[in-house]
Amino acid sequence: MKRGISDKTILETFTEDFCAIVEKHCKYIICSGFVAIAHGRSRATEDIDMIIEKLSIEKFVKLHNDLIKASFECMQSPDAEKIFEDYLNRKVSVRYTRKGEFLPEMEVKFAKDKLDEEQLETRTKLEFTGLDVYFSSIESNIAFKEELLGANKDLEDARHLRIIYEGKINEEKINKIKEQIKRYRYGK
Amino acid sequence: MENREQSHTDQIERWAKFVRDNPNWREQFKKFSDGQIIMARRVYKRLAETEEGRRKIKLLRARE
Repeated sequence: MKRGISDKTILETFTEDFCAIVEKHCKYIICSGFVAIAHGRSRATEDIDMIIEKLSIEKFVKLHNDLIKASFECMQSPDAEKIFEDYLNRKVSVRYTRKGEFLPEMEVKFAKDKLDEEQLETRTKLEFTGLDVYFSSIESNIAFKEELLGANKDLEDARHLRIIYEGKINEEKINKIKEQIKRYRYGK
Repeated sequence: MENREQSHTDQIERWAKFVRDNPNWREQFKKFSDGQIIMARRVYKRLAETEEGRRKIKLLRARE
């Protein structure tokens, strides 16, 4: 589904512009709330969640510099090495915005375990959204929202995705991911 | 389930089905989605112009 610039929302344009730069440097996925919103879920968000593969400091500096060149800025620090050492390498996320804008924000973090790495391996473009962006799979998003996140808004996001993809969802896959969540995130 | 929760759930389902079944859902959605960001940006801009605004923005944007 090809879409023009004019029918894209501010969130979508921001996400595509940011992802186009990140894709040149590493594998990434967009996950969580924006996945549902890109499928028309009618709720607000001010941040978009991105997981990137774990990078060396040298590679991250190059990525950060490219983002700066494209007029993004990091809310935590302008210093790429500090962002790497004090945040990303300590499993803390950082937030980028367009320079001078407070929102939307891209919340970026490194993949932290096998579960994140598998999401990166199985990343996919979702035709329904019409966006040139890699997402974690629909099954993965539903599993995380139902099993790990669990707030009302997350359960409503999952319900929305289940309706949009009615008859196309692999329940076995969702259950398998839920088991992995229990193992890697709850230690069960 | 309380009445409010039920009507909220019904609304979520009704809208999800509309999105699934109507290719022109984006026209309505874009106005809604952009409107929220435009309003929030307006608030931040106004706040930034006030004496205490920058400090308040810092508080508003504070994360763990």
